[in-house]
Amino acid sequence: MTDHCQILVVDDDVEDHLILSEYFRDIGKERCVGFIENGQKALDFLSTIPSEEPLPKLIVLDLNMPIMNGSQTLLNLKQTSRFKNIPVIILSTSQNENEKRKCLSFGAVDYMVKPCTLEEGRTIVDHFVTFI
Amino acid sequence: MKEIVRVKLENEMDLILAHKRAMKLCELTGFSLMVQTSLATAVSEIARCAIEHGQNAVLILGIDVLTGGRKILKIVVQDPSDFSGRATEAIFYAKRLVDEIETIKSSKETKIILKQQLNFGGTITDTKVDTFVKYFQNEPPLSPYDELRRKNLLLQDLADKLKESESDYQVLTDTLPIMMFSVNNRGVISYTNRWLQDYLGATPKELTNVSWQNFVHTSDYSQFSKDLSNAIQRQVALKGQYRFREKSTGEFLWHILSVIPLKNEKDIVTRWIGFIADINAQKLVEQTLKDNRGLKEAQEQLFINQRELQQKIIELNRSNYELEQFAHLASHDLQEPLRKLFFYSDVLRKRYATIIDDAGVTMINNMNLAASRMKELISDLLSYSQLQQQKLEFEPVDLNAVMEEIMRDLDFIIRDKNAKIEVDALPIITGNKLRLRQLFTNLISNALKYSKKDVHPIIKVSIVLPEPDRVLINVRDNGIGFEDQYRERIFGLFERLHTRDQFPGTGIGLSICKRIAELHHGTIAASSIVNEYALFEVTLPVNQNLNLALND
Repeated sequence: MTDHCQILVVDDDVEDHLILSEYFRDIGKERCVGFIENGQKALDFLSTIPSEEPLPKLIVLDLNMPIMNGSQTLLNLKQTSRFKNIPVIILSTSQNENEKRKCLSFGAVDYMVKPCTLEEGRTIVDHFVTFI
Repeated sequence: MKEIVRVKLENEMDLILAHKRAMKLCELTGFSLMVQTSLATAVSEIARCAIEHGQNAVLILGIDVLTGGRKILKIVVQDPSDFSGRATEAIFYAKRLVDEIETIKSSKETKIILKQQLNFGGTITDTKVDTFVKYFQNEPPLSPYDELRRKNLLLQDLADKLKESESDYQVLTDTLPIMMFSVNNRGVISYTNRWLQDYLGATPKELTNVSWQNFVHTSDYSQFSKDLSNAIQRQVALKGQYRFREKSTGEFLWHILSVIPLKNEKDIVTRWIGFIADINAQKLVEQTLKDNRGLKEAQEQLFINQRELQQKIIELNRSNYELEQFAHLASHDLQEPLRKLFFYSDVLRKRYATIIDDAGVTMINNMNLAASRMKELISDLLSYSQLQQQKLEFEPVDLNAVMEEIMRDLDFIIRDKNAKIEVDALPIITGNKLRLRQLFTNLISNALKYSKKDVHPIIKVSIVLPEPDRVLINVRDNGIGFEDQYRERIFGLFERLHTRDQFPGTGIGLSICKRIAELHHGTIAASSIVNEYALFEVTLPVNQNLNLALND
């Protein structure tokens, strides 16, 4: 599912994978998105991509994840020369100002709150595909 | 010399007595009649001279043991004056009648001693000598004169002994470091020893006439006089501890006073005797021990308190940790399912609207409202729990800008309620902008919420500068207010004065306000008159002392 994905969503919540993929399907972009359960797996996956092949054009990170959380993953990405230019958007449940400030300072391009309504979901996904 | 009998030499009658006793002692000691007569004659010669020329002469008959165990009869005629010069003739005669005559002169007296060696000295044992003494004591009086003389002599002897023992007693009592006294049955002090006179600096007469108040410490006096009158009234012994003033230093030293009533054979108290002994050192030691004990107890208490405090700190840390855990739970784990609830109900309403009837839609809407309340509660609790553990970062905050932001945020409800908000020009203070905004947002949204139904809310935000380094910001409304008894309680967590039907809310808002004020080292207070107004007074320091901020 992660083959040639242009948007990589890192989130431990499988339910959210389904919700998001539904929106991508609505706009016919379901083939552009790939899902992975935590930061460590995401880094491992990115490392397996051969250098001649393209990297994802956007990484979406949840914050609360087991094994490696979002902000740790963000730091790791920004410290690796090969990945540091991939734009990262934080998509979190909590609207914590401190957390938001921290992630932006670490180099995230945006901080978004997970959707509570259909409209919010659509807006978020529409924003994601602008990076493709 | 062991004295056997003596005769006072004053007149002729005494001379006869001296002669007779000398004769008798010689007889008792076993001398022949010839020796008896010559010795008695010699005694008479010398005694006559003593009576004639002496002042207060005495004849003493006795037995002496010489070195080697030899015993002699010894007869001494002694007088304070030197009568020997007038007795040369008598001594001359006497010398022929006895073995030896010796004259001893000293500054006190002159003694003429006649000595006669005893032939059978070994038979004169000490017991025998005692029988001689007894013989002369029990000898029937030779004459009425002799009887009188004897009694006089006995009395004189007793008086001398009494005098001697009295003087011993006086010396003893005067040298003892203890106060002694006696009081007669009329309360007159009849005797005091020297120590008492020196210590109190008063004669017995002064002690009788002057109040004891002069000698006893003011703090002890009432007890002292109570004890004393009790002892006198009930005629019992008194024992007590009081401070008596030392005249020479003016210091009051602890003493023990003991007074005992002395009764006669009819059981009537005739007089009192007593002593006052210094126990100051003992008292000092007692006091020191007591102080030490007090100190030790205080130390132990302190130790217990410290341990309790330590325990409390541990408990507090644990509960802080639990609160942190809760904050984490609330921030993510509780919100996450709630978000899904919202999302799915939205999906149901929008995508399945055609197959759900009106009742179903109402239920979905109610479910949404319930979820909203829960969301609000979680967000408030999260906010409050974050405040419990957070250290605030301070920066200069323009309170005018804060107010403007709040007005913008509340714009919808302000228009809806047609409310009027008047805000004074506010200062710039050091604080946490986000939290100050939260504080005043809560106060103003409360003022809007608890407004009267038919009256447009008027909210006044005014400023008072009570001290140069503190600001007092008043938020006053014209709403429903609250009863005065709740002025403290409304700041408690989950305290709500109204049912949810009347006013929705979580009961956390004012707790947050209070906590924010405290984190700024300020205070918040509320007052109200029901149906007239509610007033919230927030006092904040203009500058945050760095040390204070760090302590928090």
